[in-house]
Amino acid sequence: MSFFELLQESLPLLLQGLGLTLWLAFISLVIAMILGILASLAGLSKHAPLRALNSAFVAIIRGTPLLVQAYFIYFGITGVLGIRMSAFTAGVIALSLNAGGYLSEIFRGGIQAVDPGQNEAARSLGLSRGQTMRRIILPQAIRICIPSVVNQWCITIKDTSIICVIGLAELVRQGSQIIARTYRPFEVWIMVGVLFFIVIWLLTLLARIVERKVSLG
Amino acid sequence: MAKVEIRDLHKSFGDNEVLRGINCNIEAGEVVCIIGPSGSGKSTFLRCINCLEEPTSGTITVDGHVMDANSPDIDSYREDIGMVFQQFNLFPHLSVMDNITIAPTMRKKMDMAQATELGRKLLASVGLEEKADAFPRSLSGGQKQRVAIARALAMQPGLMLFDEPTSALDPEMVGEVLDVMRHLARDGMTMAIVTHEMGFAKSVADRVLFIDEGIIAEEGTPDQIFSNPQNPRTKSFLDKVLEA
Ligand SMILES: Nc1ncnc2c1ncn2[C@@H]1O[C@H](COP(=O)(O)OP(=O)(O)O)[C@@H](O)[C@H]1O
Ligand SMILES: [Mg+2]
Repeated sequence: MSFFELLQESLPLLLQGLGLTLWLAFISLVIAMILGILASLAGLSKHAPLRALNSAFVAIIRGTPLLVQAYFIYFGITGVLGIRMSAFTAGVIALSLNAGGYLSEIFRGGIQAVDPGQNEAARSLGLSRGQTMRRIILPQAIRICIPSVVNQWCITIKDTSIICVIGLAELVRQGSQIIARTYRPFEVWIMVGVLFFIVIWLLTLLARIVERKVSLG
Repeated sequence: MAKVEIRDLHKSFGDNEVLRGINCNIEAGEVVCIIGPSGSGKSTFLRCINCLEEPTSGTITVDGHVMDANSPDIDSYREDIGMVFQQFNLFPHLSVMDNITIAPTMRKKMDMAQATELGRKLLASVGLEEKADAFPRSLSGGQKQRVAIARALAMQPGLMLFDEPTSALDPEMVGEVLDVMRHLARDGMTMAIVTHEMGFAKSVADRVLFIDEGIIAEEGTPDQIFSNPQNPRTKSFLDKVLEA
């Protein structure tokens, strides 16, 4: 089989896998962003129990491999609770918790990097804590965080490949199945790598443009 | 009842006692300038008035409301107290107009058209009508500070606090900011101004407070303080700043 024939045979399956990879990453990242913002606010709260909760969450996410987190959610939790969960749901839960933990640290750093004078100016105008956070601090913190957030998005997109261990037919699993049939690991892994690379490259490009648009000078 | 009443105000940071018993009233319409050496507690004093700092002990009332950071009404009390900072603290992600309209629209539920109209008037009064759509980063220091004053005035406060509003400015821009403040004083605004501009204090203040090591070491009319200081520390402070 020529390379071109191999490509022709593999590409539809690989693109199907890529679709699932992107969908999994997208849903997980949307949830992770919300989770990350809430968790970072908990980490900065004046209430000690909320801060402790955030520290524990971040420590667990950081301290254990994503692979273990995914196995634990898909096999461990479903087993103990006796519930059924699709591999996709388990993958979304694992990836959102994982990215959420890292994003919470990124957002916390961003919020703390905003000049304290901004908070003082907003509060002196009468804005409440919540209003100040939403309208003054977070918009600036998010701008500060953009490079690190995009970095985390790239990591999470690639981390979807770890989710193949619970049987989700994402890009990497599609790749290995094609290899099992064709015995052409060299070419197929290059194809898989190139597909990941293109997606990440496009995302980075987009992020650059956004970053330039919203920069504060 | 005075506009502002401050009784036995103490403030410590750790074991650094910065304010050591301040008593002071500010009457409605009065312009009070606060002078004193760097580190003597002037900013801390001003920031206690709107509760950006929480006093260690003592009471502050503004319009009869006890200023307490834990009061459920503290936000609405602060609406009535404008503050202008040395570093301007404009919101860099908002246009000049949005800087001005954000508080009235969020706190007073003013509709956008009304707030924009108010914003235009205020910008005109500080001589910056044409900057409504600009962003803070494109303004000079003097322009930034004039926008900051307009932003504070948008809440139509009854009291304005200024913490060294011209200290971060290049010398050629000091005048334009002081002019705006002079107009405010003439229009009857109650003002507490921490400043090193002695000429301004002399001409605008109804009363001058000299703060030294956390207490009001001397107070009086500008004439009394600048021409005939009683406290030797006032004298030596004025000698130092006036010869500079
Ligand atoms: N947030 C703070 N934490 C600790 N110390 C502070 C804080 N703010 C001010 N201080 C200390 O309080 C003293 C008085 O400061 P400040 O009120 O800013 O003086 P001034 O405005 O007269 O120069 C200084 O010694 C300063 O280091
Ligand atoms: Mg100061």
